[in-house]
Amino acid sequence: MPCKSNSPAVRRYFFRFAVSMVLYAVFLVLAVWIFVHFRPTGPVAWLLAILPALAIVGQIAAFGMYLAEEKDEFQRHSGVLALLWGIGATLSVTVVWGSLENFVHLRHLDLTWVYPIFCIFFGIAHALNQARYR
Amino acid sequence: MKNRLRVLRAERDWSQADLAQRLEVSRQSVNAIETGKFDPSLPLAFKLARLFETTIEAIFSDEN
Repeated sequence: MPCKSNSPAVRRYFFRFAVSMVLYAVFLVLAVWIFVHFRPTGPVAWLLAILPALAIVGQIAAFGMYLAEEKDEFQRHSGVLALLWGIGATLSVTVVWGSLENFVHLRHLDLTWVYPIFCIFFGIAHALNQARYR
Repeated sequence: MKNRLRVLRAERDWSQADLAQRLEVSRQSVNAIETGKFDPSLPLAFKLARLFETTIEAIFSDEN
């Protein structure tokens, strides 16, 4: 969600984002179904396990492509700022959580939560940016 | 960075959206530049100067 305007770069970003979300849902359902019914092992199991994650990597790549394609320098700047806040906040939360896990045996945080945590912080940072420059 | 964008716009009776359309940027971009929250790149500053038929120095000032 880079910005409110409808620049061609934004439209392409939303299209790529939607495609990656659909692929994620399809790959996830497919992987769970195959694991439950066929209990695959070896390279097939690895490939199936990686498929949903590849769709998420596609989402990250879509944002990178948006930043490369967006001609409006302020919107690019705003996107990079939100990205940095998202990354910084996610690193801070996960490193504190990791330390708590080590010392006071806090419940283990599964690594698959890192991306959703990043999305929350990125979304907040982006919304604050949009409100600031409305 | 201080600037005279609001004055220059008013002289031509342009809204922020009008200026944004002429610059091919978003309205938020114009607002951010106009309020001094975002400094434009040199190419965008030149584009503004050409649009208002003046110099970059006549639009922007680095004095506090």
